Amino acid sequence: MRIRKKYLFYVLAILSSLIGAAVTVIDTYISIEYKFNPWSLCLAIFIAGLVITFFLSLILSIPFGGKSIGARIDPSFKRLRMLKKEELKYHLLAGMGNAVATVGYFLIISIYQEPSTILAFFEVVILYLLMMESIAEKNAPTMAEVQASVIVTFGAIMASFSFEGEINLLGLLIVFLVLNPAWVVFSIYQRKLKIMKINGCYNDAINIRFWNLVFTTFFTAILVYFIDKENFFGAIDILKYWHLFFISMGITFFSYVLYIRALGLGKASVTQAVKAFTIIFAIPFTILASNFVPITFYESIPQLILKIMGIILVVMGVISFALTEVRAYIFIKAKTGYPINELLNNVWGVKGITSVAVVAGRYDLIAKARMRTLGKGYERIIRTLEKVKGIEWFEWETILKEWEEV
Amino acid sequence: MKYPSMIKAYILITTYVGNLKAVLDEMRKLKNVESIAVVAGDYDIIIKAKVNSLEELMELTDQIHSIKGVKRTNTQVIEKEIEA
Repeated sequence: MRIRKKYLFYVLAILSSLIGAAVTVIDTYISIEYKFNPWSLCLAIFIAGLVITFFLSLILSIPFGGKSIGARIDPSFKRLRMLKKEELKYHLLAGMGNAVATVGYFLIISIYQEPSTILAFFEVVILYLLMMESIAEKNAPTMAEVQASVIVTFGAIMASFSFEGEINLLGLLIVFLVLNPAWVVFSIYQRKLKIMKINGCYNDAINIRFWNLVFTTFFTAILVYFIDKENFFGAIDILKYWHLFFISMGITFFSYVLYIRALGLGKASVTQAVKAFTIIFAIPFTILASNFVPITFYESIPQLILKIMGIILVVMGVISFALTEVRAYIFIKAKTGYPINELLNNVWGVKGITSVAVVAGRYDLIAKARMRTLGKGYERIIRTLEKVKGIEWFEWETILKEWEEV
Repeated sequence: MKYPSMIKAYILITTYVGNLKAVLDEMRKLKNVESIAVVAGDYDIIIKAKVNSLEELMELTDQIHSIKGVKRTNTQVIEKEIEA
C-alpha cells in the first residue's frame, strides 16, 4: 500500500490509543471489582498475557488469501518465528525496560490509595524520549517538536491529574527515576527492533510483541520474587481468573502491535505524545464502565475544568506535530577527483540530512533533508553545504507532497 | 559470485504543464516504487524505485515514459546509501 506515511503513523498511534483506553478501563474494573494483591496481579497478568499473545500470534500466522492473517495488521508479518541472534540484545533490554517500568507502576499502586496523582507525571516520559533523541539520534528534534512535546506533556498531566491523591518525594522519585527511564529503554529498543531488517525485510510488530512479553514476563517474575516472595506464588492462585486477564491482555496485544508499527514510522517521542490521546478516549469507556463499577471520569468541577484544558492542549500539541515539517531533496555534484566516500560522510554530517545516496548519473549524491521551515533549511542546511569540501554545486528541490510504500 | 539482490534508483521526472495530477494518479499505480514525491524545482516528480534487476528498472522507466503527460525522465542508480 502506498499512502502518505505521516497519515499512517497518526492512524496507527491514535488507534493504539483508542484500544489502550479500553484496556485502561477494563484494568480499572478488574482492580476495583476483584481487589487482587498488586504484586500477584503484576505477575499473573504477564503470565496470562504471554499465553494469550502466543495463541493470538499463532492464529495470525494462518495463511489466508496468499498471506498470513497478521499481514493485514502488519504487512511485514509472515508467521510467529524463533528469535534471531541479532535481535536478542535489543529484546533483553526492551524486556528489562518493560519489567522495571511495570514494577515501578505496581510499586506506586501498592503504596498509594489514589495513584493517579503521582502517575500523571508519567507523561513526562515524552520529554525523556525527546532528550534521548536529541543526544543519540541523527534525526534530532526540531524546536517546533520540542514546543509541541512540552504542550502535550503538560496537557496530559493536567488531563490525568487527580486532586484526591498525594504528591510526595518517594512517589516522584519512583516515577522520575524508575518508571520513566525504564519506559524510555522499552520504547527505544522496541523502535530499534522495528526498524531492524530480518532477512532483508523490516521486522514485524507481532513477533516483537510476543518476544517482548517472553522477556518481560521472565524479568518481572524475578523482580516480583525478590520484592514479595509470598505474593509471587499468589500469582498462581489468581490465575484462576485467567479469562479476565485474557480479555485485558488480548486487547492490549492489538494496542501494542499498532504502537510498535507506529514506532517504526515515527519518532518514539512523537509516538508517545500521540499516545496521550488515551486520556481522551478513556472518557467514553469510563462513562460506559460507570454503569458497572463506581468510577467517574472527573472528581470535581475544578478537576473537570483542568481535564478539559489538558485535553485541548494535547489535541493542539499533536496537531502542531503534524504541521511542522518541510522536506527536500538536494542533488549534489562533486568536484572532480574528490573522494566520493569522504564527501558522502561530509554531507551525512550536516544536521537535518536524513539520507544520502551515492548515485550514478547526472549527479554524484542525492540527499534528503527535513527541517522546520524553509528559512531553517537555508540557515542550517544550505549555508552548511556551501562550506562542505568537495561540492562543486548543488540543486534544491522542496518536497510539496509525498507518498511512501509502507 | 553473489549478486546484490536489490537495486534502488531515483527517477527524476519532468511533466508537461497542466498534467501533474493525472500523471501522479497513474504513477501511484506503479509497482516497485518505494516513494513518490511532488517537488518544486527543476523537476516535478521524484520517484524512488526498488527493483530486483536492471531489466526491471528498464521496464519501470518504460512504464513511466508511456504515461501521458510525462515530458522527460532522468534515472540515477543508487550505488551506496546511508539512512537515519
